[in-house]
Amino acid sequence: MSLIRQIWLLLLGTLVLALLASVTVHVGSARDTLQTQLRLKNNDNATALAQVLSQQKGQRELMELTAAAQFDTGFYRRIRFIAADGTVGFQREAPAKPLHAPAWFVALAPIESVPGVAQVSDGWRALGSIEVVSQSAYAHDELWLGSVRAAFALAVVGVVAGLIAAFGVGRIRRPLDATVEQAASLQRGEYLTVAEPDVPELRRLARAMNSMVERLRTVFETQAAHVETLRRQASCDALTGLSNRGHFMAQLDAALKREDGHATGGLVLLRVLELAELNHSLGRESTDRLICTIAQTLQTYTHRVAGAFVGRLNGADFALALPEGRLADETAHAVVELLRAALPTFATRASVAAGAVETRHGEAIAAVMGAADFALARAEGSGPFTVVATGAAMSSWAGGGERGWRERVRDALHDGRVRLAEFAVVDGRGSLIHLECPLRLQLEPSGPFETAAHWLPLAIRSRLSCAADERALALALDAIAVDGRPRGVNVSPASLADSGFAARLRTQLSALPRAAKDVWIEVGEIAAVEQFELVRELARQVRPTGARFGLEHAGERLSRIERLFEAGLDYVKLDAAVTQGSGGDAQRAAFVRGLVAMLHGLSLRVIAEGVADDADAQALWACGVDGITGPWVRPPTDAPASI
Amino acid sequence: MVRRALMPARAWLIRIALAALACSTLAPRAWDADTMLRAAQAQGPQALAGARALQLALAGLSGQDDAARLAAVNQFFNRRVVFASDAEVWGQTDYWASPLETLAKGRGDCEDYVIAKYFSLVAMGMPVARLRLVYVRAQVGGPGGEVLAHMVLAYYAAAGAEPLILDNLIGEIRPASRRPDLEPVFSFNGEGLWQGVGTQSAGDPVSRLSRWREVLAKAHAEGFQ
Repeated sequence: MSLIRQIWLLLLGTLVLALLASVTVHVGSARDTLQTQLRLKNNDNATALAQVLSQQKGQRELMELTAAAQFDTGFYRRIRFIAADGTVGFQREAPAKPLHAPAWFVALAPIESVPGVAQVSDGWRALGSIEVVSQSAYAHDELWLGSVRAAFALAVVGVVAGLIAAFGVGRIRRPLDATVEQAASLQRGEYLTVAEPDVPELRRLARAMNSMVERLRTVFETQAAHVETLRRQASCDALTGLSNRGHFMAQLDAALKREDGHATGGLVLLRVLELAELNHSLGRESTDRLICTIAQTLQTYTHRVAGAFVGRLNGADFALALPEGRLADETAHAVVELLRAALPTFATRASVAAGAVETRHGEAIAAVMGAADFALARAEGSGPFTVVATGAAMSSWAGGGERGWRERVRDALHDGRVRLAEFAVVDGRGSLIHLECPLRLQLEPSGPFETAAHWLPLAIRSRLSCAADERALALALDAIAVDGRPRGVNVSPASLADSGFAARLRTQLSALPRAAKDVWIEVGEIAAVEQFELVRELARQVRPTGARFGLEHAGERLSRIERLFEAGLDYVKLDAAVTQGSGGDAQRAAFVRGLVAMLHGLSLRVIAEGVADDADAQALWACGVDGITGPWVRPPTDAPASI
Repeated sequence: MVRRALMPARAWLIRIALAALACSTLAPRAWDADTMLRAAQAQGPQALAGARALQLALAGLSGQDDAARLAAVNQFFNRRVVFASDAEVWGQTDYWASPLETLAKGRGDCEDYVIAKYFSLVAMGMPVARLRLVYVRAQVGGPGGEVLAHMVLAYYAAAGAEPLILDNLIGEIRPASRRPDLEPVFSFNGEGLWQGVGTQSAGDPVSRLSRWREVLAKAHAEGFQ
């Protein structure tokens, strides 16, 4: 039984007991008083009557008449004269008066009318005794009325006491609930602090829990800083802070392969011409400054264009990946023009050349890099500050325009031309954790089922991402209901902005509570960085239904999510760009190990995404990850889930 | 120390005396000798002496007829108690003293005599129905003398019979017809008074409302029935 309920029961019990006791005591004392009064009245009346009868000179008729006159006032049950020899001289008796008080009450609190007796004489002659018994019905009625009134008054007092108690319990309850809520949130993995309540006992408890959370936060921050250092060591160029070659290549590979990546993109390679000579003539320090200037120029694009990323591939070569098509050429020119203005301040001969290529989702990284290298080589051959662009990508939304595509996405969702792909996520023993189920849409009635890369940007722009995500969850729930295998669905960060989205997901999950326990819902790490409150709200909505909630494509920015421990997550999926190459790169493996340790410290499960080769897989298991997904597990199956 | 040594000895003496009393009489008694002595002890040495004397006097009457008892009790109180008004003894205009209170003071007025005689007789087992306390109008000093409110104890040998009068003015017990100086006004006794209430009424606060009831309660507490 809950504490509050126990307090309530105690209070109510005490009140009821007090009421009963008060009424009982009242009735008892009133009854005693009435009974005594009645006895005295009987006695006094008997004495008075005996005195009058003693004046009648012993004449029986006169005595009987006098007694009858007294009796006829109606207040008497019985008046009896007993002669000196013990025989009844005369007697008047009235039936018991009808009562207003109920019979059970009379039985419960009987009032005895004790006969009053007095001696009657004529001179020295003892005539006998007179016995007087009054009616007790009046007393009963009075007692009943008084008791009812007392019970009513006490009930009013009881209600008032109850109201005061309710107020008091409410005052206790609020801080108690807050403390209990904090404890519950700790259990859910949300490490929240609460305001300290006024109640001393609870204040101590809340203070203890707050300080525990604070300590956890410190530990987390320390770990996060450590992981950040490891990440820099593993994936950053020491001089410029840009991604190093290995990390850039992993990022680019992940971007090209990722199910929900961008359909088209661009890659710009930039080379500092004759770096060795510059180094020789300018000296190392000036050359480093020049390199840093170029890095900063490129980095502005990553801030300006969401999803763009930069790397320093080797001493003289830089790369800029763009998340959208038909921008590479233009961007390359812009960068080169900026540098044309900036570089002469270092050395008149300092110059760069750039090659730009368009990329398409799913292209092999080797082909993309080959084409870019080719373009760069041609630009280098054409002299300083030139740009060569090749392979203008075919726009994937040629024909129909944006409006046409929007219709297609909407129709596909509406007509049910949807299916879930299934990729297994396995644990260390090879058994299934869940099936990762990205949504595929058949945009043309008889066309292929397209990955998110082909329609998600449009869906987002058309505000259809919520509909798509809800559809994916519905499909997953149905599929779970059929085969009972857990499934993971991802939610687009754009959907979080819809204020009703989280509640709708919850409704969907609540409708199928058994299947909901096997649902894993994930959202991109970027959402937790940029819209932390929305992610936390979504977690609060879906987790109570039994569904698990996590971040996907995570790793690079995890240590920057300051309140990760408050988010209320169950798991984190590490991005392929983070995990790739851990087999061969000790620094990278150290970073992953640190990251896994930090996440485990928050009781989160860690799954590695996009694992392609055995060496990486073994290294990742060694780092302590709980699950792995990607080509290494099983080639992606396009087998349709139940629709 | 001396006191502590004395107390048990005295208690023993009392007990032995009581045992002797109990053995010497066969008739059932309507009194509690032990309680009476303890109550008397609380009221002082004179009360204790009076109580012992009373018990001794009554003990000699076991097996005797009513006439002998009446005579003994009448004589005992008429001799032992000196007449005095309530104002002198108690500082009140009217005070009904219990038998032991009267014995303790050694003084009392008419109703104190009557009360003491009544309880002593009832204590010896005389039926209450044979006794009545009677308010009388007494003419003192022969015809034309002073008239005063007085109380006597009347004994009725049978229902309707002429009563014998126990009085403190005239020590001799005479039938009512030989007491022309007395004119009865109203009479009462303890009959039916405690009916249906039991003995608890001794502690009943309302019993103090009536002098008669109060005296009954006090006498009961002193071991009289």
